[in-house]
Amino acid sequence: MMLSRIADSLFWMARYMERAEDTARILDVNYHMMIEQSPQAYRLRWDPLVAITGEQERFSTRFEQATPRNVFEFLAFSKENPSSIVECITSVRENARTIRDRISRELWEDINSLYHEVTRYNPEDEIAVGPHRFCNYIKFGSHSFHGVADDTLPHDEGWNFLQAGRALERAEMTARIVDVEYHKLVESAAAGDAAGNHQWMAVLKSVAAYEFYRRQYHAGIEPEKVAELLVLHAQLPRSIRFNIAAVQQSLRAISGSGPDAYANEAERLTGKLHESLMYDRIEDIFARGLHTFLADVQKSCRSIGEHIARTYFYYAVVA
Amino acid sequence: MAPAQFEELRKLADFSFLLQGITFTVYSDGRGTERLFPFDLVPRIVPHSEWERIERGLGQRVRALNLFLQDVYGPQRILKDRIIPRSLVYSCRHFCRQMIGVEVPRGIYTHVAGIDLVRDSKSGQYLVLEDNVRTPSGISYVLENRQVMTRTLPRAFQLHDVLPVDHYPAELTQILRRISPRGGDRPVMVLLTPGIHNSAYFEHTFLAQQMGIELVEGRDLVVDCDIVYMKTIHGLTRVDVIYRRIDDDFLDPLAFRPDSILGIPGLMGAYRAGNVALANAVGNGVADDKAIYAYVPAFIRYYLAEEPVLSNVDIYLCSNPEHLSYVLDHLSQLVVKAVGESGGYGMLIGPAAGSAAIADFRERLRANPRNYIAQPVIGLSRCPSHDPSTGRMAGRHIDLRPYCLFDGERVVIVPGGLTRVALQAGSLVVNSSQGGGSKDTWVLRGDA
Repeated sequence: MMLSRIADSLFWMARYMERAEDTARILDVNYHMMIEQSPQAYRLRWDPLVAITGEQERFSTRFEQATPRNVFEFLAFSKENPSSIVECITSVRENARTIRDRISRELWEDINSLYHEVTRYNPEDEIAVGPHRFCNYIKFGSHSFHGVADDTLPHDEGWNFLQAGRALERAEMTARIVDVEYHKLVESAAAGDAAGNHQWMAVLKSVAAYEFYRRQYHAGIEPEKVAELLVLHAQLPRSIRFNIAAVQQSLRAISGSGPDAYANEAERLTGKLHESLMYDRIEDIFARGLHTFLADVQKSCRSIGEHIARTYFYYAVVA
Repeated sequence: MAPAQFEELRKLADFSFLLQGITFTVYSDGRGTERLFPFDLVPRIVPHSEWERIERGLGQRVRALNLFLQDVYGPQRILKDRIIPRSLVYSCRHFCRQMIGVEVPRGIYTHVAGIDLVRDSKSGQYLVLEDNVRTPSGISYVLENRQVMTRTLPRAFQLHDVLPVDHYPAELTQILRRISPRGGDRPVMVLLTPGIHNSAYFEHTFLAQQMGIELVEGRDLVVDCDIVYMKTIHGLTRVDVIYRRIDDDFLDPLAFRPDSILGIPGLMGAYRAGNVALANAVGNGVADDKAIYAYVPAFIRYYLAEEPVLSNVDIYLCSNPEHLSYVLDHLSQLVVKAVGESGGYGMLIGPAAGSAAIADFRERLRANPRNYIAQPVIGLSRCPSHDPSTGRMAGRHIDLRPYCLFDGERVVIVPGGLTRVALQAGSLVVNSSQGGGSKDTWVLRGDA
């Protein structure tokens, strides 16, 4: 028996943790890539980072232009940005606090100490030494979170909501990364910028897929191949397909539906999206337009999230 | 033990509290900051013979309070026999008319009672300072303090024979199971919390987890045709027993405060219909009113035909004109309390108060005498405690709140209770919101 509110909190706890980790990865990799580039390329590098997190509007009301300093501060520490890493970790803890009777003591203590540690970082010091130290800590924090969760929670419905939250957030984030970066790459190529290769390497590194790409393709960095890997690969833990499959698996475990059926709208949409990620080839996707495809993926992800909430969290009670 | 070694252990204990998130919320700074409840590593020791007396005294007091509630919401014999003035009962803010004639499961009102005791430094006797039979809190600190102590100072427990306290959640669960209106082995039991922003939220999560019951907020519950349900991911599930940690006023916006968003519309209807059990019962505030308190020794004599084992602290009821004029003449020597308040709010400590505060209370007393009582300042006993500012041991004032569980027949009390300590030198106020801390309380198996 699981209260709707608890399922809701588990789902969002995992989403916020994933958002914090993804943001840390993007910041870390791009910052170091940037150091090797000319100052003229700054704008091209930093604007997209904010775009990937979906917070351009809030950013532009505060800053006229993106600089390494203000982007790092905004994405990592800002209290005015609800998607900043520190705010995400705070939300993870707030969600955990409302359900701490339902999670293991180990998991709660892990989250609580991560929160206390993260709020102790001084933004000025971190800006001085660069984002690696901080971002790396967040990555470890997220790995620890999932390790402890997997090892101490019963793998029941609640755990499945946790898995669904993480996978859905990650699928959407990867879609946004590829969308934004591809767009920028086309732009910079048109401007005769040779840094394109570096950008794609940064993208691959941010999703921990650089070495895998090298082994898989034995080739130079080609945008189409990178896109194929990040969108369609079945085993890469940060590809869109991998994560939509994970969402589907979790939702089926929760409702108990079989492989050729769906129990609710969230499952139907997930299944439909998974079909297309399974059977479409990257050429088909490019023929339709990568941007259009990725925009649809993001839209589906949002829709799936809404229907999960409507089915399990906020259903109407007729009393 | 060397001071440096003590300091190290103290830090270890503090860190353990922080890591587990054992904090309370302070509202006064506007941000709802979480703070550690200061913990003093030096335990308070209660010899067994002393404890036996306390246990006997609390047992009879809790049974008498429960009989009073049964009576006052039932036949009202005690009013007819003029043991207590009818006007005093009816004018009590927490007297609940909706409870008259309601049959509560097994006749239990005070499932959990926290009775505050002080030890008079002159006589050495324990006296009852206050009864709390609505939603007393603090038991989680008793259990956590003990756990931190056994981790920090394991050897001390090998040297002393300390009675355990960790059976409390199981005892409470047992009582809740017994009051389920549907009976059966596995009633659906929940702990109802106002939510994450409540100062006792940690305790709510702790108890729910220890008892293995669902922690719910008002928005998780819904009432249909006088049946209470909770909203789960697979639909509605019927609820049998609610251990509620929300005040009466906020329980049900249809029956009480209409602006309450914490409560469940229709809950009182389900309760009155006997379809759900609440612990503690609704309307208990009439028994722990600070003016009614004066009559509790009379309740013990009236209902149980026993002499009270534990005495009250002397009390002046301002509703009595003679008492009022005495109180007004001696304000600077007395402690004045508003009858319906708790947690150290609405209080005047005469010897420590300025002339403006005294003048203010003089006005309030004249305007609404029923709302106030006064008591002499008790010379609270002191206990050796660690003073973090000097790093030395010093005597500090303490009180004791044991937690009493009542199953309709027996009163079960976990040995000891919450010892609160006024960590400021000379201070008499032990409330955590006013700089108080706590200690582990060791009831020894023997008297050594």
